[in-house]
Amino acid sequence: MFKDTPVVREQIKKCVRCGKCRSVCPIFQVYQTENYSPSGQVFLVQMLRDGELEVSEKVAAKASDCLMCESCSSTCPSGIPVPELVAAARAYIGEQRPSAGKDLIFGKLWTNPRLLRKAVAAAGLADSLGFRNIARALGMTSILPGDLPQAEKILGKIPRASARTRIKTVSPAKGTRKTRVAYFLGCGTDLLQPKVALATVEVLNHLGCEVVVSPNLKCCGVPHLANGQKKIAEELVQHNVNILHKLGVDAVISDCASCTSTLKGHLYKDWLKVKVFDLSVFIVEVLGIPSEIRALPHPLTVTYHDPCHLVKAQKIKDQPRQLLKSIPGVELKEMAGADTCCGGSGTFGLTHYEVSMKILEAKINNIRQTEAQAVATCCPSCITQLSYGLRESGLNYPVLHPIQLLHQGLYKR
Amino acid sequence: MDRTLLIQELEKKLGQEKVISDKVDLMYYSYDSSFHARLNRFMPDVVVTPRSTEEVSEVMKLAYTHNIPVTPRGAGTGETCGSVAIQGGIVMDLSPWDTIEEVDVANMQVFVRPGVIHAKLNQRLAENGMFFPPDPGSSLMCTIGGMVANNASGLRAVKYGCTEQYILGLEVVLPNGEIIITGGMQSRAVKSVSGLNLTKLFVGSEGILGVITQIRLRVWPKPKGRGIVMAVYPSLDDAPASVLEVYKAGILPSGIEILDQSAIQAVNMYRAEINLPNAEAILLFEVDGNPASVEWEGLKIKEIASQRATQVEWATDPKRMADLWEGRSVVATAAARVRPDGSRVFAGEDISVPLSKVAETLREIRALGKKHHIKVVNYGHIGDGNVHTAPVIDPEQPQEVEAAQRLVDDIHRLAVRLGGTTTGEHGVGAVRAMYAELEHGAAVKIMRSIKQTLDPKGIMNPGKVFGPEEE
Repeated sequence: MFKDTPVVREQIKKCVRCGKCRSVCPIFQVYQTENYSPSGQVFLVQMLRDGELEVSEKVAAKASDCLMCESCSSTCPSGIPVPELVAAARAYIGEQRPSAGKDLIFGKLWTNPRLLRKAVAAAGLADSLGFRNIARALGMTSILPGDLPQAEKILGKIPRASARTRIKTVSPAKGTRKTRVAYFLGCGTDLLQPKVALATVEVLNHLGCEVVVSPNLKCCGVPHLANGQKKIAEELVQHNVNILHKLGVDAVISDCASCTSTLKGHLYKDWLKVKVFDLSVFIVEVLGIPSEIRALPHPLTVTYHDPCHLVKAQKIKDQPRQLLKSIPGVELKEMAGADTCCGGSGTFGLTHYEVSMKILEAKINNIRQTEAQAVATCCPSCITQLSYGLRESGLNYPVLHPIQLLHQGLYKR
Repeated sequence: MDRTLLIQELEKKLGQEKVISDKVDLMYYSYDSSFHARLNRFMPDVVVTPRSTEEVSEVMKLAYTHNIPVTPRGAGTGETCGSVAIQGGIVMDLSPWDTIEEVDVANMQVFVRPGVIHAKLNQRLAENGMFFPPDPGSSLMCTIGGMVANNASGLRAVKYGCTEQYILGLEVVLPNGEIIITGGMQSRAVKSVSGLNLTKLFVGSEGILGVITQIRLRVWPKPKGRGIVMAVYPSLDDAPASVLEVYKAGILPSGIEILDQSAIQAVNMYRAEINLPNAEAILLFEVDGNPASVEWEGLKIKEIASQRATQVEWATDPKRMADLWEGRSVVATAAARVRPDGSRVFAGEDISVPLSKVAETLREIRALGKKHHIKVVNYGHIGDGNVHTAPVIDPEQPQEVEAAQRLVDDIHRLAVRLGGTTTGEHGVGAVRAMYAELEHGAAVKIMRSIKQTLDPKGIMNPGKVFGPEEE
């Protein structure tokens, strides 16, 4: 029951509406009124819990006005996990207002990696209207607003082949095996940024890891949680935990900030017994930065964007930078507001195109001012969003995961 | 006037995008930080977000014609229900109107619109080597308009005083829509004794006399040096005594802050790396000025405090200073951390007492907490006798709520009995209006007649500052 969820029962009363969250919320920065503030979200959940407000289209829309970026929760003096509260409210709203479209996408498609891969591959093969047609056929239009034609531009050119189809289930370590790890291949990396996944596996192998990529693992569950499909998210947790426990690995690694923050977060914390690492942390702190990295063929000025789910949810800030600095030829140039959200946040950019673009605009301006030649970040959703922002602004920078640059330093001449 | 008609009229004047009328959206404007607003729902009929003096004036004219209450609002971080429409009507959210119109470096002043955030103003001023000295703990979220309307002060009032000392002039829209400028129409003078001081009348008036639409602020050169002495006391009584001894030595720190044992615990629970020592009380003395005098004053304070404190730290490292100051700033909210199922409530949170009575006040508050069986966290601006009291209760338990209300009343009356006041800097709003006669006696009549002159229809933020005249 929604009302009995521990977070709903225990956390709401801690909000004293001090407003500190207003100072960091990317959505509030755009609208600047209290009805778009994190403190407002807490109040909305309270009103729903206490029956002072009934579920309606408007209430569902208000609950959807949250990126779940954790900017608020990471700064809240009372320590309120606002995104967890919002997720609980969305789940409750989902129960009260079932949506056939959402069921299809999150229940049938996004729980079945093979089907999801096929759908995305089909979109990749289709013409420019392909995504829209497929989205319509899948009922996605019922959860996405009218700006779908614009939203699909964010995704850009969808790769024809997913990473999973190009990676073996077990990739052996190069040289002596130091450890056996599970690579949690997130949906975003798999389908939209397959090159990141290939680089991750190859670099981990290079550093002595036997890498297991189980074909049976499914989505981590964060898109489901964000879209009010908590029950499905919980089923995914059980499914994934069972598989991960059977793999006999020393650690679970992911190059996706959202996946690692989910695997370490409240959904998994009572279940998952294997330690989870962000890829950059695992390389910098466990495996050690390799000494044999060669200089890039041409010096490259890189600016780094902190994904919210890394810097806010996991307090990981230094390790990706250390990784970048370890590559000869890379000059790291900090942008202003490196840790502010890019507005992507998984499906948010698709469902809230307009506000997402306003948040992105500020980010792109900060990137522009660095005069960097490339942007690095550790999240497939951020890569997709930033790539779109740069394309639209006529800036020709590539957006890369640090692992791709490290891969270049290890393998490219 | 019918609500639908009112909304239509407002949309005609301001445009739809500046009028919030959906019932769900209005709900977010039913509260501020006060305990009172957590216990009640004060729904406005409509919210407007004007972005020009003319728009404010248009709204006021409409409200005046139709006798509709108007409640100006900044960030809504107040703790007194001051920006909440307790009688319904229009809430005027001025926080999106956040333009810094002009930084007049040569004349050491700045022109801002009411929604400018305190921290952002100081960020901008720092580019020119200047600063606006009052430093409310809510710097990241509070607006300058709200600071002016409440005459806010905060952590540096010991040396730099309150907001009022920096207001050179205001643009105000009166309840009937008329626009006036206080402090001189063309004036950029940094001092003036011309005319009755209307600027000071509006500063701290909590929105009951008019809407402040532009603020001309005096700003100061930013000091080059800064340091913090942290002194750790085994007994609560020793802390106020140390403060008086520092003053006696001829030193005026820019801030003197106290954290009691529970407050220390709360700060450490908020962020462990701040790592405050466990003790009955900690004092933070901030000194600023030229680097040589900062060093001298810091070491002198360290020497004086050492006579009573068991541990004294002189911090000049920016990271350590930022941590200590952040610890003190967040304790207002972080106080709740001392009780896992509890919440800090903002009520009875702002008494100010004579410096000579601080020790007695802290002792009495402790006794009152015991009497009402409520955990009380104390912190505040001890350098000017301003004690912030944070009752930590489970606000969802009616018995605890009632006990807290009795405690708060006792605290307010204690302050007045000891020769102090119910509010040092947060204001009266709706929650302390009942003490107006107790604190001001016959002077409340004069306050009412000033209000009557400027706002004959009583539409500006009704129900605040003082209650209606008794029949």
